[in-house]
Amino acid sequence: MIEFQNVFLRYGSGAAAVHDLSFTIPDGAFVAVIGANGAGKTTAAKLMRGLLKPTDGQVLIDGTATTALRTSELAKRIGFLFQNPDRQLCKPTVREELAFGLELLSVPGDEIQKRVDAVLEDFHFDPERSPFALSRGERQRLALASLIAVEPKTLILDEPTTGLDYRECMAVLGRVKALHEAGTTVVMVCHDMELVLDFAERVLVFSAGRLLLDGETRKVFRDTETLPKASVLPPQITRLSQRLADVLPPADTVEEMEAAIRERKGAKA
Amino acid sequence: MIEIHGLSFRYAGSDRDALQNIELTVPDGDFLGIIGPSGAGKTTLIHSVCGLVPHRRGGDFYGSVTVDGMDTVDAELTDLARVVGTVLQDVDSQMVAANVDDELRFGLENFGAPKDEIEERIVEALRAAGIEDLRDRVIGSLSGGQKQRVAIAAILALRPKILLLDEPTGELDPAVSEQIFRILREMNERFGMTVIVVEQKIMLLSSYAKTLAVLNDGQLEVAGPVREVLKESRRLEEIGVNCPRVVTLSRHIEDLTSGAIAATVEEAEAMVREVLR
Repeated sequence: MIEFQNVFLRYGSGAAAVHDLSFTIPDGAFVAVIGANGAGKTTAAKLMRGLLKPTDGQVLIDGTATTALRTSELAKRIGFLFQNPDRQLCKPTVREELAFGLELLSVPGDEIQKRVDAVLEDFHFDPERSPFALSRGERQRLALASLIAVEPKTLILDEPTTGLDYRECMAVLGRVKALHEAGTTVVMVCHDMELVLDFAERVLVFSAGRLLLDGETRKVFRDTETLPKASVLPPQITRLSQRLADVLPPADTVEEMEAAIRERKGAKA
Repeated sequence: MIEIHGLSFRYAGSDRDALQNIELTVPDGDFLGIIGPSGAGKTTLIHSVCGLVPHRRGGDFYGSVTVDGMDTVDAELTDLARVVGTVLQDVDSQMVAANVDDELRFGLENFGAPKDEIEERIVEALRAAGIEDLRDRVIGSLSGGQKQRVAIAAILALRPKILLLDEPTGELDPAVSEQIFRILREMNERFGMTVIVVEQKIMLLSSYAKTLAVLNDGQLEVAGPVREVLKESRRLEEIGVNCPRVVTLSRHIEDLTSGAIAATVEEAEAMVREVLR
């Protein structure tokens, strides 16, 4: 469980990048963090992983403050996928890359071998290729795979689909979804509201360093008063449904909208 | 006008063609969106238009690309640059000055713009990009969206006939991405500038572009007016290009609409109201 208690963070002597954040992410949740550029999303994500420490207040991981947890302990519990995979790839081959995180955590050699083989099979990587010869989408999948090898309880993904085409994006998120279904807690910073609707159960909306809204995904996207303050445009079908509220019941997916149209059409006929 | 005939290109040292036999005509005043999966050849295609291919990226070049009457292989890059303004994928790599004013001034002075015009053109370009307030800012202190607009303003100041942009909204949030596309629409509609933009966000292209070209594995899969191309949504999805949800909805209810395609939420609303009438 991740708990924010009145968290502030200032970079240097400037204004607070995040301001009085209080929320809890229970084990097994799939939470999206959304908001405009500069709203404090990445700062909040880094605070969750202990990469940043609060200026005021505290962030608790399973009841212990991140300031009291060793870096290796945080790394074991929480995997962090950077927006740019090149920030976390550093080894000459895919196999070495996958083993690297485990070596740092002093996992025994035969266990490393076992986990790396399992991930290689799962992701269909060529173990001897250079990570830097892979496409951007493949590098993103490799960065994710090396986090998965560590078997963290929680995964934090900072805009995991930036720069990926649709197919690559689905390959990465399909894998994340499977991990979530197997019990992993997922926190995803994301700009694509269609993906947020498809994958996240709950949404935290940030604006100017503050938490503006926190709730179930569909409910948040229907808050037409608050969302514009965070420069968030809801997904297309939700917006369409809002415009058609005088003639159709609420719908958020293509299938729901189609059913509503057909039912209304049938009723009229 | 841009005319591309039988264009094939293979980068030096590569074992596959980045582009294969491309046939494409872009009339003056078009707003063309180029979309396709990673590695489809999108960047190579626009680099062929601005001349970076083959002048700066060597390889085997077949066919021809003619821009405003100039053959891009024969023409000098500087002559092409007077007609074609290019905003690269990584805008940081094209910034040369420390502050915004100098960045715009640099291009104008290098292109030999008349001295008494420089001030006017800087003011006009900053206004068009909506960044008059950033004129004295240090570029290193700007956000991603602000830098993107500075890069666009620096190109606009040169008054090119054709504007090329390679994934200008890659790391921008949806609101700032819309802002960028509104600037492009204004350049296209008010000043008749031809705009060609490589973009992964098909929702933006559906709302702003006039025509779409879909590339896949170095080949031109389909090209034409936006709605015509979106009608091929099943084919697009097969090659890994996602379609806006309202297009998918249009397809789901095509038996009720005689095959109309809504490309935006506004069009979808009108379509559904018509169906329910």
